[in-house]
Amino acid sequence: MKIDTGNFVRNAKLEMQNQYARTFLSLLPPYIAARRVKVMGSFPDPAAAQELSRAIRAEAVARMPDLLEEFEKNAIAAGARVLWARNAAEANEMILSIARERNVTMVTKGKSMISEETGLNDALAREGIEPFETDLGEFIAQQLGRPPFHIVGPAINVPVEEVCDLFMKKAGMQEETTDPVELGYAARLFLRDKFRRARLGITGVNMAVADTGAIINVENEGNIRFNKSSPRTQVSVMSPEKVVPTTTDALHLLRVLCRNCTGQSISAYVSIDRGPREPAEIDGPEELFIIIVDNGRSRLYHDPKLREALRCIRCGACLNLCPVYAKIGGYPYGWAYSGPMGQVLNPALLGLEETGDLFKACTLCGTCREVCPAGIDHPAIFLHYRALEVKRKRRSSGRWEAILFGVWGTAAAHSAVWRFLYRLARPVLAVFGKKGKIEAMPGPFAGWFGARDLPVPARRTFRDQWRESLSKQGGAS
Amino acid sequence: MGPVSLFIPCTVDFMMPRVGVATVRLLRRLGIEPRYHEQQTCCGQPAMNAGYLDRARKAAKHFIDVFGDDDVIVSPSGSCTAMVKYHYPELLGGEPSWRRRAEDLSERVFELSQYLVDVLGIEDGGGVFDGTVTYHESCQILRRLGVSRQPKALIEQTRGTTFVPMEQADTCCGFGGEFSYRYAFISEEMVRDKIGHYLDSGADLLVVSEPGCLLNIAGYLSRNNPEKRALHLVEFLAGPETDENT
Ligand code: SF4
Repeated sequence: MKIDTGNFVRNAKLEMQNQYARTFLSLLPPYIAARRVKVMGSFPDPAAAQELSRAIRAEAVARMPDLLEEFEKNAIAAGARVLWARNAAEANEMILSIARERNVTMVTKGKSMISEETGLNDALAREGIEPFETDLGEFIAQQLGRPPFHIVGPAINVPVEEVCDLFMKKAGMQEETTDPVELGYAARLFLRDKFRRARLGITGVNMAVADTGAIINVENEGNIRFNKSSPRTQVSVMSPEKVVPTTTDALHLLRVLCRNCTGQSISAYVSIDRGPREPAEIDGPEELFIIIVDNGRSRLYHDPKLREALRCIRCGACLNLCPVYAKIGGYPYGWAYSGPMGQVLNPALLGLEETGDLFKACTLCGTCREVCPAGIDHPAIFLHYRALEVKRKRRSSGRWEAILFGVWGTAAAHSAVWRFLYRLARPVLAVFGKKGKIEAMPGPFAGWFGARDLPVPARRTFRDQWRESLSKQGGAS
Repeated sequence: MGPVSLFIPCTVDFMMPRVGVATVRLLRRLGIEPRYHEQQTCCGQPAMNAGYLDRARKAAKHFIDVFGDDDVIVSPSGSCTAMVKYHYPELLGGEPSWRRRAEDLSERVFELSQYLVDVLGIEDGGGVFDGTVTYHESCQILRRLGVSRQPKALIEQTRGTTFVPMEQADTCCGFGGEFSYRYAFISEEMVRDKIGHYLDSGADLLVVSEPGCLLNIAGYLSRNNPEKRALHLVEFLAGPETDENT
């Protein structure tokens, strides 16, 4: 997937002009919040359930290297082949060679964020292998040549008329319709045919269970199960942090994941598969490859501050409820992961140079932190990134901000300097004031005044008033 | 318990001194004589949020020196309270003796409504306001300090006042300090929504407990809906001043 995190502001402004997406986005947070609270309420003790999932994730990540080895051992014992890829290119090459060896020219795919991260579809297409996304939303987004818009609703921003046009053109639909059921049926007919012919299916992984070697997938459409049962060869691609210790852990995470993701107590399909088809079984792949793609995770694992980022289970609660996401949608985050989850992961995996807006475009409201079932403290991680960036930039350049905070630091530690500087600054700011308020001002704060006024800084500060009169009025009571 | 020490954030000191004055007036009405250390500066929040941790540490140490021995420190800002309460020990984690002082201080800092309701058990601030009032749940007050019931109780106990709920009262108003001018195009949309919900609530007045949010919300009202008002909780509770103070 093309990395475009550096154009956050431009893309956000662009997205904010899309009325259709905006309407959807404005309705999302209150709707999801209400649904989430309701369905979390089906736990006897929602807070305890949340605490438990946080503990499971923390423990799983802390034990990740050992758990992965255990998972590998058990998956191999069940007949799977486990491949380790250091990075995106290696992972894609592994899949390509599996496809080449089997003379495959077309593959079906289940929704997988790691394959967005590695840019698998492009890699396949370059080799003349046609990938078909089979999740309805992903299918629409893919056919339109757009990245997924939202983790759960990849094409939720596409008006139904556009879907109709698209299906007429590319999915063999015969008659125009805007009836969602008809459209769904058309996509199903088209994709069923692909499933029938596909000899290689590729899916992601929600959880990999260490003590059994099983892989768990969660979905609502059944297309992932199709991918895991129909093609002769199946590839499951996962990042290492998907591993969890036991089935019991996985089942609890599953309960919390579905509630946080779509507000369901359980998704329509949960597939738990261990190894390829066994002789007595009637479906399932003849061969199963599990590709574990590191792509930077080991580095995060060894970073004491960033290891926490690996706890994410991609439930999407943080972005569904993020007030900034609700304004700009998923595209501006510029890569596979969006919203607070992406603001944590994208800088961690891509570096801070081109991702600065991701950790700065945040009010630190803490909603993400509050809802996260994995126990990630997003705001703390953003502050960490900001501090790292300051350290890096300070050495290279003396930006106005660094100078300002330098002076500020000295003043904050010396109240006389602090007061003196205020006396200097106030008249400068007051120049812009009219009738007690400032309506516009050039310089770094100019943005404030687009829709807002500011009071003129006080001639008599609170401290002045305390000294002159307030302190003396006391003692009466 | 010793006297109540006032922690007046710089936004209040410089931009809205009337909020500080109201704090003094309210406390006195409740029989509490506050003290105020004139050497106080800034808690360091802006520096920390901008990534200048060493500068924030300087401010933190100064704060600890100034307030170090006070029994009770009260502030009309939840985010500044949270800064001292939760971020100082972390920020000074590398310097054991400072960290201990920060942890010790942490127990003694309160957001104003938290202090009145939870510590003193006061829900009636003795104020009067004839009309309907709604309340914006500022992020740090709600999610960091877990304070939500307290300000609403104080509003509800005010004579003549009817509390009315507001849609999405707990959604961020879009201030976020630097965020408000650096990403103004997003921030403006957020505050516009907030005001929309305020107007829809039908309330005569919007009460806010966080100076930053108040600058944002009142700044938007001043420009776009000058007929509507927003006040800091403490101004609302203390009631109008008799003398002019600016
Ligand atoms: S970071 Fe976001 S997507 Fe990941 S687990 Fe937490 S709430 Fe879910």
